[in-house]
Amino acid sequence: MKKRISLLLVAVMLLGLAACGAAKPAETQAPAPTAAPTEAPTEAPTEAALVVDTCILKEADDKMLNTYTLLAVNPDAPFTDADGNPVSDVAVNTAGADALIHWLLTREALDMAGDYGVAEYGEHLFYVKDDAPVYTGDIAPATEETKVIRLSTTTSVNDSGLLGYLLPVFESTYGYTVEVQSAGTGKAINAAKFGNADLILVHSKSQEEAFVEEGFARTVDGFESERISFIYNYFVLCGPSADPAGVKDCASVLDAFAAIADGKYTFVSRGDASGTHTKELSLWPESLGITKEAESFANYTDWYVSANAGMGACLVMAEEMGAYILTDKATFLTFVANDGVME
Amino acid sequence: MSSALHKAIALILSADAELLNILSVTARMSLQSSLIALLLGVPIGIWLGACRFPGRGALVVVNRTLMGMPPVVCGLLFYMLFSGVGPFRHMKLLFTVKIMVMAQVVLITPIVVGNMETYVAGIAPNLRETAKGLGLGGFKTFALLCNECLYPIISAYLLAFGRSIAEVGAVSMVGGAIAWKTNVMTTAIMQYTNRGNFSLGIALGMILLALSLMVNIVISGLQRRLSR
Repeated sequence: MKKRISLLLVAVMLLGLAACGAAKPAETQAPAPTAAPTEAPTEAPTEAALVVDTCILKEADDKMLNTYTLLAVNPDAPFTDADGNPVSDVAVNTAGADALIHWLLTREALDMAGDYGVAEYGEHLFYVKDDAPVYTGDIAPATEETKVIRLSTTTSVNDSGLLGYLLPVFESTYGYTVEVQSAGTGKAINAAKFGNADLILVHSKSQEEAFVEEGFARTVDGFESERISFIYNYFVLCGPSADPAGVKDCASVLDAFAAIADGKYTFVSRGDASGTHTKELSLWPESLGITKEAESFANYTDWYVSANAGMGACLVMAEEMGAYILTDKATFLTFVANDGVME
Repeated sequence: MSSALHKAIALILSADAELLNILSVTARMSLQSSLIALLLGVPIGIWLGACRFPGRGALVVVNRTLMGMPPVVCGLLFYMLFSGVGPFRHMKLLFTVKIMVMAQVVLITPIVVGNMETYVAGIAPNLRETAKGLGLGGFKTFALLCNECLYPIISAYLLAFGRSIAEVGAVSMVGGAIAWKTNVMTTAIMQYTNRGNFSLGIALGMILLALSLMVNIVISGLQRRLSR
């Protein structure tokens, strides 16, 4: 009896192995037709290939402006719990949020943000908006109740190192501790709606406006609007240097996206409701009907890759697949500067 | 891979302050959660394995189901409960090491219980007969049982510790991977991976495994000596 059972087990295992073996070639074959024309015979995918082939193909288009906005969370916002019941006494550190927003808008901090990365990457990672409000008043130092500030932010300002560069100055001068949670803009905004953030720093105008509309934002004293936009950079459309879709010669970024879709060239989408993802969705030709819903691109899976991952991971994926990708410039420059990172 | 090894060694040698902080948070979290899970799980496991009572079978099945609870689901549950809008918001525990330990205890205790239950159920009938033959009372029988269990208890601890130090789904949800506060090895690896810095992620993974190896060597040695 025992013998029979063990024989059966072995048979099942063999079957499983055979099934895996059969499935694998099919999997690898699928992307081949799309990958072959794009990757060209430039280089075999060797492990030692550390040179980044992905490069900036389209930039500085008005459509590609990427503006970062600060929003203070309103403690009297219509918070609801997971079942939709209203919750009134949500703890929000308004004094701390005010202090951080005030400091980020001082001339000193704005200059720091504008100069960040110039020495390291030879280019501006962020620019200060010409009409950014400048704060000249006093900044309240931390007290026992206000010293922990919860900042929910998008990955790009954190991963590019901007916050790591700015915040220690603020913390050591005024005695606060800023706890940074970074995720895509969609998640960052949701964290605030769940009462887990005192302020947010995000980059998706439509999502910010919805946040304000729903009453979650608060106007900081001395400012005109809930949304305080202060720095910006550009989104850039990147892709393989061979540029099979001819994106470089397109008149505008909208034409470039149309060309990618027409030729069904592989495109890696963040797919995570981040600011970059939201921007990308607005750039496709409307006739395609691509939205954040999975069904909307079910017919395009042969070239449209919805990765649901961070910017860095998506860049690595695009590099491996020889795909086009939309990214903020700061993250891309950091990615290229660390070109050994995706071995 | 070789550059990841170099990076791992360079990281350890540089004694980077952030790395040391990550290591200490990781150690604090996984030691606490595995010890609490052990203290809770071993008595329950012995009780489930050794005693006969109505409903025992159902409890065992429930426990075995909980053993397969996805960490993300556990993390999500705690996130909802302790969120700024959740029912336990006044405890202000979200994004602290304490809540990471709590979530992990919920994840790991069923595994300890399941392991102890399996072992004890195997030896209990014989042991009960021996005890009866020797004329031992209830308490002495229990002491004998515990003595017999020393080896699997330590194994269960190592299992709990391994699960705790390697787990990422729950701790990233409830801890938020906040630098200098709740960032542990696994969440740091996730962060580096998301940034595309794979080799630094692998380097951290190597350090994590090396730590795990050391803990295992020490405790396995202890186990052999104690149960000799």
